[in-house]
Amino acid sequence: MTDVQLDELGPVDYVVVEFPAGASNFTGEMAAELLSLVDRGIIRVIDVLILTKADDGTVEAAELSDVGELGELEALEAQLAELLAEDDVEHLAAAMDPGSTAGVLIWENLWAAPFASAARRSGGQLIANGRIPIQAIIASIEADEVPAT
Amino acid sequence: MRPGRVGRVGVIGHPVAKTAVVAKAVSPGPSPVAKTAVVAAAVTPGRGIGRRRI
Repeated sequence: MTDVQLDELGPVDYVVVEFPAGASNFTGEMAAELLSLVDRGIIRVIDVLILTKADDGTVEAAELSDVGELGELEALEAQLAELLAEDDVEHLAAAMDPGSTAGVLIWENLWAAPFASAARRSGGQLIANGRIPIQAIIASIEADEVPAT
Repeated sequence: MRPGRVGRVGVIGHPVAKTAVVAKAVSPGPSPVAKTAVVAAAVTPGRGIGRRRI
């Protein structure tokens, strides 16, 4: 990652995707979609961890390379940057239920980098960003549909 | 966990709270869940006559 100019770095996001005990159904579909995003230059995967939270709350973190058959993810694994630190594991696992497994994915939004860079060159400063939960959109629409009293 | 992750300053900074779980209603493409269509209409320019323009 050190060869990337900070001015050209796109926004970096993360997700924690939890798989409750007994609910995982890995078919390779997730990996295929992720690789498609990478191959199309939409994102660059920076880091991946697999977290397991035991029933007593203890957390174990595994590297992607610890997973047996990586298949097409092998090329991706070779380019990871190990951005996450040990204390990030505890912070991220705070959202997990005991007995679950979760995948943590950190990525750079390559699609946004040129625009963000142009905005900075134009004198713009990022003062807020975020994500609107789908539930909030639903709630807002439903509120619109309630007749005024 | 790789040794390189130990002893470094993290990037998350605080315990993460669990978000509300979004189920099948947000899957792309046709969905049997009516709310999906409502949301899609609301956030798609040119669709959803009488709804919001975004």
